[in-house]
Amino acid sequence: MERQLKFSARSELAAVIVDVVGQIDMGTSPALRKALLESLSGTERIAINLTEVTYIDSSGIASLLEVLQQAKRSKKRVILFGLNPSVLYVLQLTRLTGVFEIHETELQALEA
Amino acid sequence: MPSDPRFLRIVRATVDGLVGSYGLSSEECVGVTLAIDEALANVIRHAYKNRYDQTIEFECLVNDRQMEFTLLDQGEPPDPARICAGPMDDVALGGRGTHLIRAVMDEVTYNQVPGGNQLKLVKRLHVSKALAVEE
Repeated sequence: MERQLKFSARSELAAVIVDVVGQIDMGTSPALRKALLESLSGTERIAINLTEVTYIDSSGIASLLEVLQQAKRSKKRVILFGLNPSVLYVLQLTRLTGVFEIHETELQALEA
Repeated sequence: MPSDPRFLRIVRATVDGLVGSYGLSSEECVGVTLAIDEALANVIRHAYKNRYDQTIEFECLVNDRQMEFTLLDQGEPPDPARICAGPMDDVALGGRGTHLIRAVMDEVTYNQVPGGNQLKLVKRLHVSKALAVEE
C-alpha cells in the first residue's frame, strides 16, 4: 500500500523548513515526529510547511506539540504555516491555535 | 477492516464521501471523519495493543435523522477513565482522541456485547437538508 506521508527539509534564512505532504495519522505520525525532532536539533528555528497536508489526527497534533515542547526547552522556535481549513479546524477543536505560532505563508513564517 | 493503520485512509475517504452526500457542512464532514478515525485508532492502540492482524467490524446506518456508526472489536475492554474523557489538558501530548470524538459527535455510547466491545457514534442530520437529499 502506498505510503501516505512524505517530508523533506531545506534551509532558508537561518531556519529549517520541513515540507510535509500527505495525511498525518497514527500510522505516519511517528516518522514525522522523528524527522521534525532531527531537523530541530540542527537549527534555532524550524518552520513546518503544512500546505500539502490534507489530514491530521490527534497523534499528529501530539507530534507537533512534542516538537514545540522540545523547542521551548531549548529556547528554539517552531512555526507552522500553510494550514488548510481542515487542519486548522482540528487545531481549533484541540484548542491549540493559541499555543502554536501559525502563519499563512512561507514568507510570513520566515520574516516573523 | 484489519486493525492496521494503513487502512484508516480508506475508511476516512469512505466516511468523508458518505457524510458529504448527506448535506453536512465541509467542517462537519472533517469532524465526523476525524471522530471515526480517532475511534478506530483507539481500538487499534488500546483494545488491540497495536496488533495489526486483528479485525474491527465497522458499520454505518443512515436514516433521515441521523448517521449511526458502530465499531465492534474483540480486544481489551476500554478503560472507563479514558472513555469518560475528563477535562482536556492543553499541553498534554496524548488523550485528545476521545475529546475530539465527543466534541464532534452528538452521541457516544460504549457497550460490552456478546461479540466484544461495541462503540456507537451518532451524528444527527439537519432535517431540512436530509429531506432535500431524499427528494
